[in-house]
Amino acid sequence: MVWRQLHRWLGLVAGTLALVLGVTGTLLALDPLRDAWQAAPAEPGLPVATLVQRVQASVPGTQEVRRLPSGGIVVYGFEGDQALALRVDPADGRILGDYQRSLLPRWVKNLHRALLLDDAGRMAAAAVALAMLGLSVSGLVLLLRRMGGWRQLAAPVRGTLAQRLHVLSGRLLLPVLAVSAAAALVMSAATFGLIQLDAAPEPDVVSVPGSEPALPVGQLPLLQALRVQDLRQLNLPADDDPQDIWRVTTARGQGWVDRYSGQTLAWQDATVAQRVQDWAMLLHTGEGAWPWAVVLGIMGASIPLFWGTGLLLWWQARRSRPRLADNSPLAQADSLIFVASEGGSTWGFAEALHAALVAAGHRVHSAALEQWRVPPAARHVYVLAATYGDGQPPAHAAGALAAIARQPVTGAQVAVLGFGDRQFPAFCGFADALEAALRARGWATLLPLERIHQQSAQAFARWSQALAQALGQPLSVTWRPRLPRTVALTLVARQDFPGGAGEPAAILRFALPGRGLPRFAAGDLLGIVPPGEAVSRYYSLASGRADGFVEICVRRMPGGVCSNLLHALQPGESVQAFIRSNPGFVLPAGRTPVLLIGAGTGVAPLAGFIRGNARHRPMHLYVGARDPARDFYFGAELQAWQAEGRLAGLHTTFSRTPGGGYVQDLLQRDAAQVRDLLAQGAIVRVCGSRPMAEGVAQVLDALLAPLGQSLAQLKAKGRYAEDLF
Amino acid sequence: MSRTQPLLTTIAAACALALPAMAQAREVTLTTQLKNYGGDGAYLAVYLTDAKGAYAGTLWVAGGKAKYYKHLADWNRLSAGDGQRLQGVTGASVGAGRTLTVTADLADALIDAGYEIRIDAAAEDMRDSPAEIRVPLSTAQAGKAQAGKTYIQSFSYQFK
Repeated sequence: MVWRQLHRWLGLVAGTLALVLGVTGTLLALDPLRDAWQAAPAEPGLPVATLVQRVQASVPGTQEVRRLPSGGIVVYGFEGDQALALRVDPADGRILGDYQRSLLPRWVKNLHRALLLDDAGRMAAAAVALAMLGLSVSGLVLLLRRMGGWRQLAAPVRGTLAQRLHVLSGRLLLPVLAVSAAAALVMSAATFGLIQLDAAPEPDVVSVPGSEPALPVGQLPLLQALRVQDLRQLNLPADDDPQDIWRVTTARGQGWVDRYSGQTLAWQDATVAQRVQDWAMLLHTGEGAWPWAVVLGIMGASIPLFWGTGLLLWWQARRSRPRLADNSPLAQADSLIFVASEGGSTWGFAEALHAALVAAGHRVHSAALEQWRVPPAARHVYVLAATYGDGQPPAHAAGALAAIARQPVTGAQVAVLGFGDRQFPAFCGFADALEAALRARGWATLLPLERIHQQSAQAFARWSQALAQALGQPLSVTWRPRLPRTVALTLVARQDFPGGAGEPAAILRFALPGRGLPRFAAGDLLGIVPPGEAVSRYYSLASGRADGFVEICVRRMPGGVCSNLLHALQPGESVQAFIRSNPGFVLPAGRTPVLLIGAGTGVAPLAGFIRGNARHRPMHLYVGARDPARDFYFGAELQAWQAEGRLAGLHTTFSRTPGGGYVQDLLQRDAAQVRDLLAQGAIVRVCGSRPMAEGVAQVLDALLAPLGQSLAQLKAKGRYAEDLF
Repeated sequence: MSRTQPLLTTIAAACALALPAMAQAREVTLTTQLKNYGGDGAYLAVYLTDAKGAYAGTLWVAGGKAKYYKHLADWNRLSAGDGQRLQGVTGASVGAGRTLTVTADLADALIDAGYEIRIDAAAEDMRDSPAEIRVPLSTAQAGKAQAGKTYIQSFSYQFK
């Protein structure tokens, strides 16, 4: 939790300034590229003395010679009163042109390192660098948590678009950002004198004039021995100062040479601090290493991306965060509410309970279930737990059972309230597991386990009454479901089918509203809220936003409020709806083959994938129905898409026709082809009823075994996903 | 060209050179105007050398980052033994086109005695310019403007 908070707040506080540093940094990365492009490096082994002879021949007033990190040679001198800075060719001393330090106006660099504010700005920029380092480290910790350790670090990233962008770019650029930020801190420390770069005071040495004239550069042993590739800077003695000396700087140190005797009067080795500073310069600026400058430039340009997606993630998390009034500190609370919620709806119940208990005079602390800890002051503990899929805990609460087993048991009484859906075989399976674990540990019972089906308000009210009795005080628990903002969708067309099992089905197409619907893709879910109903129903989308309409396939359920409402809908009429993303099921982009398996109305999202397959990715559909005349939804469209090349293979089976069977039988029959697709790394998507999915899973597992793979592995990699009803 | 208005930067330097016979002192005002060389602010070291060229004291150092002092090479070398060389005589670096005005109290014994005022100058990413200015400290030289080699448009001093 601490890392997430750290990451969030560093990002929010330092992010805006980092944006400035990132953009200017990208611009500044152009200079090393220009230098590398312009550089005319010296031949290997060229003595510095020879270079100076060549330079002096073409630039008479030479005062200073520098070798740039790129290898280019720059000569400073005078022509009359005019100061010169020239690029020269070390091969012959020829002047190549004027030397400009940077392509950019000076303010860009000053904005980058001091925000145009001098020392105060330098400190702010250093603080941002520190924040960047903190963001890199906390980002790495969060990344490892999300991916499940170092070994899974390279695994495919799942989640919403913003999450994927943030994580994908983070995975690539985090080390670069960390290195650049650390180097920036070294440079700042040197600027503010926190690191002492110089070994000792400069030696007090001068040339000692005698009867002999000054030696030409070719007779100075140090400059003959030094190679140009090691040179940083050489200062020539001034003509009008008889005591002036030669001063030469290399990566290894600095030397002073008498102009008359040619003796090296002093040599100072570069300090460790100076070498560290040199490395920091290289790593932060990319000077002298243009490929690294390119990497740095890309990193700088990606900071706006990090910032934007990070801000979006923060905003989304903030919007779905529970609104708890009067959340007492854990240690002082007498009532604790622990919540395990998948989509956030269980938090809605927790908020209602929290508010009611506070109104009844309790000090209440609500927290996520994985933070399970019961201090001595707590007398009542409430566990509100949703179940995900087949009895799984919600992702964030995966470690909750372990946490409960670790923490000591107190005298507090515990009540567990499970939330789930009876359509799933393991209805409230996680709540069952929690109840069993708590009782086995010896926690006292406040109320027996209660299971709530489909967020039933009545069932929750009954449980609240039972709680009021157990506490011996009146409780007023008011729960109102939190529904996303809905938008009215108007039906434009419907295609009716008699249906396979007595009840009819229809493909409903709604007009895309001008505003109010976020981006969606085939495989995402459309939530429909019937008037006066507290609970929404979800249908898989058979279209994406790019298709220009919203399409679902609905079978009428006997007594089903929502399906009957939809079936009664005539073109021109509308319903209230919203989009819920289904990132685990939506197809990732790419060219790998796709194996689509579905039955009944479950073909809808698969048809959506095929409809959107304009790039003719190899897609193979296995679909089962009862009767081609009654329930082969999208049948005509599928054949048309196959003719267009959007669908590579269409395999159908009809259980009520002679020789027909179930879709899993079809897979078994085509075993060789299916295994071949799986061996090619095919992505598998299954949509339909639970028994069908179980049959399909058995067949696929059997086909995968000879390949040395399993369905569980495919699931873990995101290659296999189900959307079941 | 001159986008930057010359700004008169007046700094009263509490600089009294320690000499044995400090009976009489004269106040001297040093005025240094920089060229519009189009770079970051310049570091300047204004100091005195005696008749033999030996370092005699620092009058002013413009620029506060010690890591750049090696670019004021002559001053940095000559003054290395002076532990007090920065005592009360430092200020901000001087922007291109701007003017630095410094006052100092100098002992009479220093004037017309072969002493020289020297200025070393440097600016980031540009060449170092040791001995940018070298003028004798004499009553005859007072009031005469002198141009520097790289950064200084004109330098002059006045006795009060």
